[in-house]
Amino acid sequence: MKNNLKTLREGRGWTQGALADQLGVSRQTVNALETGRYDPALPLAFRISRLFAQPIEAIFIPPEDPDVPN
Amino acid sequence: MTRKLDSKDRSDGDRAVSRAYQLEFWPGMAAYAVVLTGVLLWGGLDGNSPWRFVWAVLPVIPALWIVRAVLRHVRRIDEYQRLLLLQGLGGGFAVSMIASVTMAFLEIAGFRVPGVGWIIYGAGMLGWIITGTVVGRR
Repeated sequence: MKNNLKTLREGRGWTQGALADQLGVSRQTVNALETGRYDPALPLAFRISRLFAQPIEAIFIPPEDPDVPN
Repeated sequence: MTRKLDSKDRSDGDRAVSRAYQLEFWPGMAAYAVVLTGVLLWGGLDGNSPWRFVWAVLPVIPALWIVRAVLRHVRRIDEYQRLLLLQGLGGGFAVSMIASVTMAFLEIAGFRVPGVGWIIYGAGMLGWIITGTVVGRR
């Protein structure tokens, strides 16, 4: 899933490691989130939302035609 | 500026998690090495004493400490790292299951493989390492 995490992080002048420490995750995880390789579980998504004071849907951009499981 | 913000340095949290794991893992590994060396040198595993069976399984006790360290590490890491680690372990488990079934069929056919347990162990570890590397690079 695409997201604005990198833009938000850089806007605050934070390294991936600094963001990772504030979210309580690894730098590897922040990198995976920023590159869209990993979609966070809801508790982490809410922590990100709270940290940047923005709703989840303003940070994460769902695909236009999301796959619906059969 | 941007280049500095894209630093690949580990975070403080990463270092703390890694340190905690090392502190738990290496004493277990050291104890395993000491017990294993003692058993191989003085256990008389090729003798006739019934105690040799006890000495033979003695290194498993410190190995359990290593398992404990890994399980505690799994609880300590975050959700994405846990996903990668468990995918790696899943790959290793699948490979060791295939290896053990293969060896079992060979044995049914009358082909006895010496050190079969170590072959299965090696296959499982290799499967873990390869799967872990592949999923980590995706």
